[in-house]
Amino acid sequence: MRKSYVINNIKLNEFDALIKITVEMSKYLYPYIKEILKSKEDFEENPVIWNDFNKRFIELIQERFNVDSMRVKKLLNQAENEEIIIKSLLILSFCISNQGYQKLKNFLYHF
Amino acid sequence: MQNKLSFHQSSAILEIIGLPDYSNNENKDQISIISQWKLTIVGKPLIEGKIEHLGPIMDAFYIYSNLLIKNETPIYESKLIDIKADNLYIHNIVLKSSKPNVNPLNIKIGNTSLSDTINCFDQLNESSRVRIKKTVVSNYIPKKGRFGFTNKVKFLNLIMPPFIAIFSIILCSSTIIYFYNPVEDKEKNTLINPE
Repeated sequence: MRKSYVINNIKLNEFDALIKITVEMSKYLYPYIKEILKSKEDFEENPVIWNDFNKRFIELIQERFNVDSMRVKKLLNQAENEEIIIKSLLILSFCISNQGYQKLKNFLYHF
Repeated sequence: MQNKLSFHQSSAILEIIGLPDYSNNENKDQISIISQWKLTIVGKPLIEGKIEHLGPIMDAFYIYSNLLIKNETPIYESKLIDIKADNLYIHNIVLKSSKPNVNPLNIKIGNTSLSDTINCFDQLNESSRVRIKKTVVSNYIPKKGRFGFTNKVKFLNLIMPPFIAIFSIILCSSTIIYFYNPVEDKEKNTLINPE
């Protein structure tokens, strides 16, 4: 999915390290993750945070991902990406405990 | 004097009240015999119950959160609690009382309250000061989603070698057919055995 001509398979220890970094990041970013989710819940009253997040998300996807891929096109489509974004944010918000590493790993293996 | 422990996560507070098990030489600030628990979600009615209700309610939240991520229409139903999603952002919780003639309590919570509640339960599970029977479903994966990445890899490892072997035999055989001419072979045979 990435905009790269080199295909490298991720090693298991690199995958584990990425999960650990993601869990630690989500612990620090939990208040922001919650604000984004809350903005979507009360979209009519507070749409700014969700719109800003969605706009930046799409910008980053366009910048770093292969936009010709069908899966990436799905991420860019605002009608379809809402569920993916909300579920991704929820997964991150469920994994901020000390057991978060194992939880996130399980979520990813069985997604 | 009972001990009281609180687990906070923004909009949710879980309170555990109970006593240490002195027969097990526990510290006086430990809780092993839980007499009461309370779950407060900001702006929602108080949820409280007996120790036997805590485990099923925690399980319900954990199972529901897993279903929510994996299924399009997550629904959890039990004798004590029903949870279902109204849409992507609102979750409808129905708490049923074990006492007769008590109407069920309906609570609607958003994704933020749901994640706060689950994080409170995580804190309780990880706390060294409270001893409860560990819930087995904190990493619950529904059966539908169990055939995942690892199983697929194992299945592929199992099935690929025979497939490659069969295909290589077919390929070799088909190339030999190109070189083999049955008419020429018949002529050779007649030359060797002229009769």
